Amino acid sequence: MTDSFQNIAVTSFPDIVKIDFKSINNKYLKVVLIHVFLVFLILFAALFIADYSGVFKIVENTFWLYFIVFIVFIAVLVLKSIGFKKMKYVVREKDISYKKGVFFRSLTTVPFNRIQHIEIDEGPVSRFFKLVSLSVFTAGDSSDDLKISGLLKEEAQQIKEFISNKIDG
Amino acid sequence: MDNTARFSNFRRQSKKGILVIYLNILYKAFKAFWFLLFLFVQKFSKIPESTLLYIYIGVLALFVFFLIRAFLIFKNFQFKIENKHFILQKGILKKTHTSIPFDRIQNINFKQNIIQQIIAVHEVNIETAGSSKAEISIKALSFEEASALKQVITIFDETTTTTNINAEEKPLLKIGFAALMKVSFTENHLQSLLLLFAVLVGFYQQISDLFDGLGKQELLDNYITKNASSLENNVILIVGFFIILLLIAVLSSTVRVVLRHFNLTVFVKNNALEIYQGLTTKKSVILKKDKVQHITISDNPVKRKLGISFIHFKQAISGKVENKKDKVIKIVGCQLSQVAVIKNLLFPSENLEGINKNFSTSYYKLRLYLRGALVLFILNTLLYAVIQSNQVLLVNILLIPVFILSIEVSFKKRYYLFNKELLLVGQGTIETHKTYLPFFKVQNVKLKQTIFQAKNNVADVIFQTASGKIKIPCIQLEKAQQIYNYTLFKVETSQKSWM
Repeated sequence: MTDSFQNIAVTSFPDIVKIDFKSINNKYLKVVLIHVFLVFLILFAALFIADYSGVFKIVENTFWLYFIVFIVFIAVLVLKSIGFKKMKYVVREKDISYKKGVFFRSLTTVPFNRIQHIEIDEGPVSRFFKLVSLSVFTAGDSSDDLKISGLLKEEAQQIKEFISNKIDG
Repeated sequence: MDNTARFSNFRRQSKKGILVIYLNILYKAFKAFWFLLFLFVQKFSKIPESTLLYIYIGVLALFVFFLIRAFLIFKNFQFKIENKHFILQKGILKKTHTSIPFDRIQNINFKQNIIQQIIAVHEVNIETAGSSKAEISIKALSFEEASALKQVITIFDETTTTTNINAEEKPLLKIGFAALMKVSFTENHLQSLLLLFAVLVGFYQQISDLFDGLGKQELLDNYITKNASSLENNVILIVGFFIILLLIAVLSSTVRVVLRHFNLTVFVKNNALEIYQGLTTKKSVILKKDKVQHITISDNPVKRKLGISFIHFKQAISGKVENKKDKVIKIVGCQLSQVAVIKNLLFPSENLEGINKNFSTSYYKLRLYLRGALVLFILNTLLYAVIQSNQVLLVNILLIPVFILSIEVSFKKRYYLFNKELLLVGQGTIETHKTYLPFFKVQNVKLKQTIFQAKNNVADVIFQTASGKIKIPCIQLEKAQQIYNYTLFKVETSQKSWM
């Protein structure tokens, strides 16, 4: 590390590593799992129809096909559950952070004074559990900004209000 | 200011604009329907005379219709300046009313294509950072009017206009024809060849579509395969082919560079850089200092010998990807002293000399090797699948050293260093790129780790700016976190406008 940075490093900055991140609401796990169920339900239905109408004449035993899809299904369920535990967020006085990922971990922070606008979305399944997702957008090529899913509706509104106040004030 | 008064009422562009708009419409129509013209010429003898008459009348009617349309577009296109807003009304049936506050205006660019040069008018493009809908193009203004408009918009926040007149006289830098030639010969010829190739492929596809429609696809294919097989049999021809290819590459680079950068001149005015360039299409770009997000200075070994390099300016871009290329502004053929002047202008009193470089960890090298191996594997499989002979694997004797060399070099060139305000990221293989990014321009920071990186305690840091990402790959986690925290601190305490 260079000298100049060490000089700066002596004065202590707010450290993102030492902040306690908040977990996503447990209800959101249900939403995630329901989504997985729905996807695999469609997949199984498609498989069944294809099997019934005789597309798989070449495959000797269709049982194994079902078995493999089932294994994948279980694996995805397990991965999503572990992944859910890794989804965490924190709102500090001047920025908002989100981290996620098991195999590909990432931590993103967007300072409030760079936020252009904020969006709150409700998915059909999430709505049933009164959950929403909160997205913040920055200017320019902002395909890669921050999105937190599975927030309680009131909480998301509060965060939005908080950030809006900070931006204007 | 009398200039402000001049634009305070709604006004139209120069009357010559009708011609520019008309030719523009015709050009677009021609581009869309040129194959109809082709068909027409080809089948000319077979068309009965009575039908021919109808076609002529139809085309004539179309021309008249376009002329009327051009006139209406011209008539309904009105703009004015009011209350530090640029206001535009346009549209024949669907009226659009646009109002842009001055401080949202990113750029005012002048452009002249050949027709505009002949009739002595300038196209004025007003760019904003937001949606591309808000981009305004005034097709024809006299130079005097255009510069008056530009002046009103650019210097609204300047207290004095006198400095403006002084600065006008001497350019910051001027790239002469000889320097431009130097630039052309040291271009990345492979790239220009690929570009040419892409254009040709696109053209070939259009032609072959056409032949397809005529049912003559086989004829074309035969012609090409016949030529290709005779190529394979003749080594001398292949060597000749490569030499010709090289010549074409050099020539196309030269043409490209000269067309685009002819008579490149850069002025410094107030808080903006003004860049003039181009041969057939003259362009002038105004670059406000604050709006520049980061700059990249590039060269390659030959260029370094000659002491010239490129500067890319990156500004905030709108979400539309198609505009991306236009928003990158490039100055070619800068001498070292000129680079220093521009750097000084954008980042005054920021000296990065003498600060140690920080390199990525050896994990990065490992990752490069693994990726290289994967690419090699895929390349081999593909080659084998196409040619189906073991001899083809001999290519690896040539490929592997090239891969190893380029990985070693690019690892060595990957570094970063910074002082309190400015981050410098170096990268490249044959070319060397140095990207300068002031910390406070960052919009969000990201720390990324794969599970393997986590085991090795390294992480990637990604800075997202309004004009794209800058990445520092595979540095130690603690260092990454320090930079992360520091960047956030800088952004959050900054009061300066960042775009």
